[in-house]
Amino acid sequence: MTTRGPLIEARDAAFGYDGAPVIAGVDLAVHAGERIAVVGPNGAGKTTLFRGLLGLVPPQGGVVERATRDVGYVPQHEQLDAVFPFTAREVVELGALGRFEGANRFWRRITSASRELADRRLDDVGLLDKAAQSYADLSGGQRQRVLIARALMGDPRILFLDEPTSGVDRDAARRIVALLAQKSERDGVTVVMVGHQFDALREFASRAIWVAEGGVKDGPAAELLSPLSIDRLLSGSEEAAAWKD
Amino acid sequence: MEGLSWGEFFEFFHYAIAATLIAGAICPLVGAFLLVRRTGFYGIALPQFAAAGVACGFVAMPLLERVLGVDLGASEMASGEHSALNVHLAWAALFTFGGLTLLTLARQGGTETARIAAAFAIASAATVLFAHASPVGDIYVHELLRGEILAIGLHELDTLAAVLGLVAIAVVVLHRDLSLVSYDRDQARVLGLPVRRHELLLQFLTGATVATGVMTVGPVVLFGFLVIPPLAARALARSMVGFLGLSAGLGLASGVIGLALSKELDWPLGPAVVVASTAVWMASRAINALTRR
Repeated sequence: MTTRGPLIEARDAAFGYDGAPVIAGVDLAVHAGERIAVVGPNGAGKTTLFRGLLGLVPPQGGVVERATRDVGYVPQHEQLDAVFPFTAREVVELGALGRFEGANRFWRRITSASRELADRRLDDVGLLDKAAQSYADLSGGQRQRVLIARALMGDPRILFLDEPTSGVDRDAARRIVALLAQKSERDGVTVVMVGHQFDALREFASRAIWVAEGGVKDGPAAELLSPLSIDRLLSGSEEAAAWKD
Repeated sequence: MEGLSWGEFFEFFHYAIAATLIAGAICPLVGAFLLVRRTGFYGIALPQFAAAGVACGFVAMPLLERVLGVDLGASEMASGEHSALNVHLAWAALFTFGGLTLLTLARQGGTETARIAAAFAIASAATVLFAHASPVGDIYVHELLRGEILAIGLHELDTLAAVLGLVAIAVVVLHRDLSLVSYDRDQARVLGLPVRRHELLLQFLTGATVATGVMTVGPVVLFGFLVIPPLAARALARSMVGFLGLSAGLGLASGVIGLALSKELDWPLGPAVVVASTAVWMASRAINALTRR
């Protein structure tokens, strides 16, 4: 499906929980092929905005319109409980559950085609050799790449990633960002990513959304994520100190 | 049973043997989800709710008869008739689903384990109080809690096979969906799965298994099958599908060993099954420790 207008558009939207808005007055449009970084201080509402755009939190006010349902979602790997004894391949195969067709919508069987697709996706993220390994035994960076492979099972037009480089070392973070850049360039996948590592985000993103003080500020990543701008926006906070370090 | 040959044991107790094996293979499938959802204590608390329901039935049915002015069969509740079993099953189900609903609604306050511990205490107290109010009910519930299932009849076996058969079909068909909803709720929503419906289904499967299990094989056997085989399987499983298959297999093995212990040592079957499950669990831990070295 091709879309001329924005893939997602929020107009004067407010998002929050239990009737209390965390952010309000959100006017945003996400267009095909964009790479968007969602940044801001801790507790400012980045995740709330992210979940609102993704459709996991309904708007408390305003309007959110989505022109596509081909959405991929990558949570933080630390959110998933290691008590589940999934293999890496099984985790990726879960991404096929939204794609069942015909009688299989009832029988819910993973077909050989889905199994092959899961292996291709694992190959895409460089982890085919870990397919049979326990997901819980993988490193943080490997787990995050398995979750990206799962999100790619549905051939999404937009990929939403919640801090994909959190809890992983610098090398692993670089591999993840390179993988996302490749998906964006080669397949035209739109990427919306919450993150903290400003230097990596500035290199990767074309656009940044700064979330702070109950609202959002939108601009080119090179400008909004420049050291000077970050320093000004985070002035006095712990994150500013960490950024300077 | 010491004097019985194996042939006589099968001949006299074939319903109980079949019930033990069916429960052994299917209850752990539900217990596996309780374990990975970190609600394993439900396996202890919910059977107690079912027992409280049965005890309540003995008090409430005569009262209902008086208020409504119709014969509801209250005088035959301890008779062992099919109709009496159905009435007990209805009360057990009512309290089990009530307990599940309470635990779900009270999700906001305290920790999960504290809430389940409180629920277990409340259900235990309710069982004793209801049994105290009905001497016939007291004897019946006492027998039920002891878990002596060798006298199980065809109607109990039919009921158990029908309910657990449906539970098994639902788990086999929907295990991936139920796993994803339990593992990553947001991902399930993004993929368009009916998350709330699946969660309700999981609760329904748990409630149906517990209510039917308590009324047929009894709470002790149910404890033994719901939680311990999945614990044993978790120590050995290398995949989610393997975990579910191993849970069912080790439950079945526990049932076979429990039956053998019961026959050879003349133990009541309920505790014998729990001893067998525990032995299987210990063995799986030992194997896990040896193979991980």
